[in-house]
Amino acid sequence: MRDVLQFFIRHSKWLVFVAYLVASLVLLFTFNPYQHHVWLTSAGRVTGAVYGVANGVTSYFNLRENNEDLNRRNAALELQVISLRERLQAMSEQYGDTLAKFDPLDHYGFILARVVNNSVMRPYNYITIDRGSDAGVAPEMGVIDQNGVVGIVNVVSPGYSRVISLLNPHFRLSCKVKGDESFGSLVWDGADPRYAVLEELPRHTVYHRGDTIITSGYSAVFPEGLPVGIVVGDNASANDNFFTLKVRLLSDFSKLNNVQVVVNNHIDELRQLEAENMRTEGAVTDNL
Amino acid sequence: MTKTAFRYILMYAALVLAQVVVFNNLVLFGCAVPLPFIYLIICLPATLSTNKSVTVGFLTGLLVDAFSDTYGLNALACTVLAFVRKPILHLYVSRDEDPTVQPLTMKSLGTPQFSKFAVTMTLIYMVVYFVGEAFNFFNFERMLLRIVASTLYTFVLVSAISSLSVSQREKKL
Repeated sequence: MRDVLQFFIRHSKWLVFVAYLVASLVLLFTFNPYQHHVWLTSAGRVTGAVYGVANGVTSYFNLRENNEDLNRRNAALELQVISLRERLQAMSEQYGDTLAKFDPLDHYGFILARVVNNSVMRPYNYITIDRGSDAGVAPEMGVIDQNGVVGIVNVVSPGYSRVISLLNPHFRLSCKVKGDESFGSLVWDGADPRYAVLEELPRHTVYHRGDTIITSGYSAVFPEGLPVGIVVGDNASANDNFFTLKVRLLSDFSKLNNVQVVVNNHIDELRQLEAENMRTEGAVTDNL
Repeated sequence: MTKTAFRYILMYAALVLAQVVVFNNLVLFGCAVPLPFIYLIICLPATLSTNKSVTVGFLTGLLVDAFSDTYGLNALACTVLAFVRKPILHLYVSRDEDPTVQPLTMKSLGTPQFSKFAVTMTLIYMVVYFVGEAFNFFNFERMLLRIVASTLYTFVLVSAISSLSVSQREKKL
């Protein structure tokens, strides 16, 4: 017994080292970012608060560009509102009150938040925002800014949330080319923070350089039609059944400041339906 | 001793804060990553037991990980760094002239020896860090470039911090 103890004491540095090594390797190989513990992420109370204070200074940088972006977006939306209102007016004169109930956006809400920490240079980038569960933010909510899609919430504390940036290969976004219904999945390839690739786009899709890439709305996280990027190139090989497009992202990730968290008010209902669907499908397979 | 410990804790807080608030945003050319907080492990006194230094290393790495959302990457590299610290030090300094309880600085080791020690330590750190990071995106040339560029960048910063703490002590004497 004493020998065993002696052995452990003599080799204690190896034991301690291996224990810490195993602990860090376990953390490092937790590839699913939804399983990260809130205390070990930037959404933690302490880490979030430190970034909150630092952001008090840095949030004043790039205000001019931010303001220009907001103005541009505001003008575009203003125009859209006017044209939609006119169209609605014309249609409601024609069809009466059948249109009154139609409002596809009524089940989405937005929570305004500010980016307090952000990275663009790592292979897996995350963003920290200063709104958490107290403000109604929950995991798997979408995050957008005035230019387009930014990311998806994954770890939430009462005051802060961590967002998986679009510049993170863990995040795949279902997208389509504006004006065409077939969809593909947008993912960052880890190289340049200004570009991402749209993969698995069916070969019959019609697109041109300069076309806008928008969200498909199939994920229930983002409403349909949010701008994401612009097509700048492709590398379609002859024997492949899919296109892969190079997309310039509309959001400038190095200058993120004000963002909005997208709240889908129907998400519970949708999840419940999906779960029921899964159950019935399971039952059907069992019967076969 | 308590004074040294107090000064170390103060420097610890300052360096970790500087790392997460400032240096994390100072990546050069998309490849040179500055991680000067590893000075906290490099400068630990040579007489500190490996058990203690590995513990300090692991916790420091974990703390920086929490801030930078790197989840285990810095913890791994810091643990390895703290473990190999003594053998590396004895490559350049013989056991007999161990600079006792003082933290290792440019002054206590001498500039050439400290530089050799700091470069080796930084290189080891960057190798572990970028190999750990590259597990999914394997691009060997890019990784090599990042290791070399980050080692140089971080070494310059570590030397600067080390000489800074020397001049403070000289002022006090």
